[in-house]
Amino acid sequence: MNGMLAVYQKELLSYFRSPIAYFVVAVFLIGAGYFFLYNVLIIGSAVMDETFQSMAILLITLLPLVSMRLFSGEYSARTMELLATLPLKPWQVVLGKYLGAVTILLLMLLATTVNLIPLYLYSEPQTLNIASGYLGFLLLGMACLAVGQFCSALTENQIVAALITMAVLLAFWFVGHLQQFQTASGGREFVRYVAFQPQFADFIRGLVRSEAVSMFAIVSAIALTLNASYLQWRR
Amino acid sequence: MGGFFFLRSESGSVSAAAISLEGVSKRYGSKTIVHDLSFTVRPGEIVGFLGPNGAGKTTTMRMISGYTTPSAGRLRVAGFDMVKDNEKAARKLGYLPEQPPLYDMLEVAQYLRFVAKVKSVPQGEVKAEIDRVTQACRLEDVHRKEIYKLSKGYRQRLGLAQALLGKPEVLLLDEPTAGLDPGQIQETREVIRAFGEKHAVLLSTHILPEVTMICARVAIINHGRLLAIDSPQALQRAAEQPNVTLTTDAPADALRAELQAINGVSEVVTRPAGNDTNLLAVDCGVDSRAGIEASIARVVASRWNLYRLERRQPTLESIFLRYVQAAGTTS
Repeated sequence: MNGMLAVYQKELLSYFRSPIAYFVVAVFLIGAGYFFLYNVLIIGSAVMDETFQSMAILLITLLPLVSMRLFSGEYSARTMELLATLPLKPWQVVLGKYLGAVTILLLMLLATTVNLIPLYLYSEPQTLNIASGYLGFLLLGMACLAVGQFCSALTENQIVAALITMAVLLAFWFVGHLQQFQTASGGREFVRYVAFQPQFADFIRGLVRSEAVSMFAIVSAIALTLNASYLQWRR
Repeated sequence: MGGFFFLRSESGSVSAAAISLEGVSKRYGSKTIVHDLSFTVRPGEIVGFLGPNGAGKTTTMRMISGYTTPSAGRLRVAGFDMVKDNEKAARKLGYLPEQPPLYDMLEVAQYLRFVAKVKSVPQGEVKAEIDRVTQACRLEDVHRKEIYKLSKGYRQRLGLAQALLGKPEVLLLDEPTAGLDPGQIQETREVIRAFGEKHAVLLSTHILPEVTMICARVAIINHGRLLAIDSPQALQRAAEQPNVTLTTDAPADALRAELQAINGVSEVVTRPAGNDTNLLAVDCGVDSRAGIEASIARVVASRWNLYRLERRQPTLESIFLRYVQAAGTTS
């Protein structure tokens, strides 16, 4: 537990001492602010569906930048030799790093809540819808970070790690379209289940379905387990 | 296994030497980097690990550190199996890799605190422990500096400080004095020597005088095979016959006849000494009996002028090259 906590603290320190975290948070805030303004002032709607949908696409393109350095950075700086020889188990390294990245995600989401202030001042939005939308963001983001962290463990090059992650996440996002091409009901069910976009869409409609929650949790857990096993195997 | 002795440590585990390798090999695909390596390092002993570049030193260090797993053989650190009991073994170990593993974005103090926490230094002792290694490695001036701003010498010493944290029983150092200036080398050697009085140190280097100065024993490897392991003195004794050189004004033929008559002189080689055609430089192969220089001096000085006489021991350098070249021709 101590070891995991130490890794977590080190990750947070590293994030805030490099420009990447600031860049990602800033771009996400500008993007979210823009989508919000467009929705509220131009369309004139107090429903956040459209805004959240666009923010989610922005989120899955930005999170690979948060996760890309997690292991690639350790390989290229030769610090993996330290992490692997200190009295740390692979899962402690994996979880410590993951929680560090999730903390950045939480900060990103928390910062966007300033957009809600005018919404609440001048209208009566549906609080439950917004809350479940944010829960959706959190779960989606956690799955993206877990996938990104695993991809980062596969390569020494941070850019390559980010590109692979983006490709994988966009595939998860859009794979729902394949449903129409599946004739077998099993295939159709599977594609529907793992597609990020329709599962996330339920959250912004105010539906917290156990199926969607479990899907994001399972994707995260599989990616983190693969990550820890890969580190073990790499020895 | 004559020198093997067993201690029953407090934890109850049976522990032999601080580091022990038994038939350790490492293969990558069809390529074997380390062949069947066996040796031990005892507590309170500094062992130098010598070998040319690409000999398998770093791979061996990485296996002992637990960074890579041996393909075959057994490897124990402080009595714990590095593969099966990895975490316990890792707690006993301080490791400085070839390239110091530093987080450039952190400050020196933050970095050391991170390592101390992972090594489970008790909360109340963290500060004292960091102060101890900071002082030992002369890092006081850069305590609050970001690591990417440090010079190569400081980076190397911070890497060593990190390895010393948590008072490990075994220290593995891969070229610890690389990149240091002569003053820093001296200080670093002192730190290692002081640590090695009570603990076990395995030190890889290709600075040969360093080995003679601080190591109790030397292991020479090439092409992943152990060629020799012994004290520098024993290696010198075993390596080649000692040699006496002298400068005199004697005529070559007469001198050679006189010298070869001495009991213990095996071989005499003469050549002109430098530019002076009157003087003769002589190399005599001799055996190791005491007083042979005196006999040679007496014989030469009774008939001619003797300008210089010196007994030469083979240097570690020549021994090292001999082992490495011999292994190179056989493999």
